[in-house]
Amino acid sequence: MTSTASPDASPAVSLAGIEKTFGRTKVLHGISLDIPKGTFLSLLGPSGCGKTTLLRIVAGLESATVGQVTIAGRDVTQLPPEDRDIAMMFQSYALMPHMNVRENVRFPLRMRRRGSRDAQEARVAAALETVQLGHLAERMPRQLSGGQQQRVALARAIVSDPAVLLLDEPLSNLDARLREDMQVELIELHRRLGLTTIFVTHDQEEALSLSDHVVLMNAGRIEEQGPPLAIYEAAGSRFAASFIGSANVIPVAVETVGGATMAQLPDGSRLAVEAPVAQGANHLALRQEDLMLGPDDTARSEARSFAAVVETRVFLGARVRYVLKVGDLSLKALAEPGRLYQAGDRVIVTIPPGKARLVA
Amino acid sequence: MSLSTNTGSVGTPLLPPKGVSARVLGGIAEDATLSAPGVFLIILAFILPIGQMLLLSIEGASGGLTTEHFTRFLGDSYYLGIVWRTLRLSLLITVIAAVIGFPLAYVMAHVGPRLRLWLIILVILPLMTSVVVRTFGWMVLLGRGGLIPFTLWKLGLVNRNFTLMQTESAIVIGMVQVLLPFMTLSVLGVVMKIDRRLEEAARTMGASFTATLRTVVLPLAMPGIVAGSLLVFTLSVSSFITPSLLGGVRLPVVAGSIYEAATKTLEWNFAAAQSVILLVGVFLVLLPYLKLTGRRHG
Ligand SMILES: Nc1ncnc2c1ncn2[C@@H]1O[C@H](COP(=O)(O)OP(=O)(O)O)[C@@H](O)[C@H]1O
Ligand SMILES: [Mg+2]
Repeated sequence: MTSTASPDASPAVSLAGIEKTFGRTKVLHGISLDIPKGTFLSLLGPSGCGKTTLLRIVAGLESATVGQVTIAGRDVTQLPPEDRDIAMMFQSYALMPHMNVRENVRFPLRMRRRGSRDAQEARVAAALETVQLGHLAERMPRQLSGGQQQRVALARAIVSDPAVLLLDEPLSNLDARLREDMQVELIELHRRLGLTTIFVTHDQEEALSLSDHVVLMNAGRIEEQGPPLAIYEAAGSRFAASFIGSANVIPVAVETVGGATMAQLPDGSRLAVEAPVAQGANHLALRQEDLMLGPDDTARSEARSFAAVVETRVFLGARVRYVLKVGDLSLKALAEPGRLYQAGDRVIVTIPPGKARLVA
Repeated sequence: MSLSTNTGSVGTPLLPPKGVSARVLGGIAEDATLSAPGVFLIILAFILPIGQMLLLSIEGASGGLTTEHFTRFLGDSYYLGIVWRTLRLSLLITVIAAVIGFPLAYVMAHVGPRLRLWLIILVILPLMTSVVVRTFGWMVLLGRGGLIPFTLWKLGLVNRNFTLMQTESAIVIGMVQVLLPFMTLSVLGVVMKIDRRLEEAARTMGASFTATLRTVVLPLAMPGIVAGSLLVFTLSVSSFITPSLLGGVRLPVVAGSIYEAATKTLEWNFAAAQSVILLVGVFLVLLPYLKLTGRRHG
């Protein structure tokens, strides 16, 4: 894995060959992962791919059918959750309804018997200050807004300074504005505290923007992993390409013409693709924002353009999404709202150099 | 108030009062019209008999007002002993029912729905048999040479003539069996509504299983335990068939004494006075409980 950790430092969390079977369905097929100390790692994948299950196995709320979990150099595979040095933030926050904010945040310190009561109260106050909730310490959870409850849950998760912080889709219950605020706050918190964090999400933008390292999961397997930029730029599989960056994935015929590799679209037009081409790559990945639209009379650049017809236009504010038809094929394009096209308009689509990639 | 509640029949279990003002309807007139039948029934079935009882309790033999029935009861250590036994046994029964009922309800809430249904049937089974059959069963188990004394004798703990019949233990055992369903089901209803993720969250924060029960489940289940305790306590204070069959004439309880006065010696005024004393006693014991629930909901 890529990280700033020195080579001799043992990983904060290490998963070896984790498999999980519920009844007769296998939901995790051998997950191995080393997470260096201080990493902000995202587990990204569509709903039902096993992210929550994997996180719960790290937490000890679920036991792995096969495999080993190591936290801070200690094999914890057989240990119950309370004996693991973790903190978990639940999607529903799971604040104790019968305790006020301060008691909620002190709970992990009380249960783990960390320091004297005064020392605990001081740490609680500091944690509440960190999430800017010092003034609400005496409130009950039901008297707080969703965003405030979220902050309490966050304070409660960081107060015990765990070896790893587990976050299961913590932002998915918030509205868009609050969500962006919390993303910024999470980044800053991580920079300040340096807690090793596993962040589960199904939102690729969130994963790319928050993390040092993205692990892309699909149907219980790790599909790809790496730093956000690498994952985004060089998705190697059809699944990765379509999930990250919501690329258009088109079946193509690959041919080599005079040293250049060309992909033939179903409608017969050809596009030059980037070398090197992986063995067996027979799909073309075109990210939505890489489709440059021009009016019908645009000069077509050889092997970089093809003609299409606008089918639908969706105005998104900062961007405009078009659904284009190329023969029978539908393509999505995300364009600047500079020049608008109507449904039925003929357009020329140009792909900038380096943006047409073949995937397996 | 019916003076002689047979614990075997569950006619009208005492439930904690619900706020009547849940809906806001058209107007006060409409509210009054809608609630009239209910109010009428309450007056007929509840206020009138209690009023009648209060009157009877202070009615003298020659017609005038008197406190002689009260002084007779309160001045006699025999009757005070009966009150003390009744309250003591009822509290013990309530505590034991809670101590068994809470873990039982917790387990029932955490098993699958099919098994839970079977457990519920099992728990309410004692309510489905008649009090006579049930008590006879206990006589066989608890009496001299019965299964339990016999086992204890075999273990060398007691002598051969040992019997549990006609003891306070027998009363407590028999009453706990029949009142346990009220406690268990009251607690079950509340425990089922506790978010399971709260327990998981507690575990991830360093709380062991027992610490989680103590710090999370028990406090959140308290309303159910309080409601169950109210039911069990009031039902056991007012029951007399099971205590008199298992405890015998040497261990009378207040409800039994009232029954005696009302049906055998036909001293209605004295029976009424005892009823008033029982009512006040129950109320005094329940007062802290009612305050507790009032604060929780308020
Ligand atoms: N307790 C369970 N029993 C049976 N199947 C489960 C259980 N928990 C999860 N699953 C199944 O495991 C798969 C992965 O679930 P999950 O880890 O929750 O996915 P994700 O968090 O990525 O959406 C799903 O198909 C889900 O139905
Ligand atoms: Mg999930």
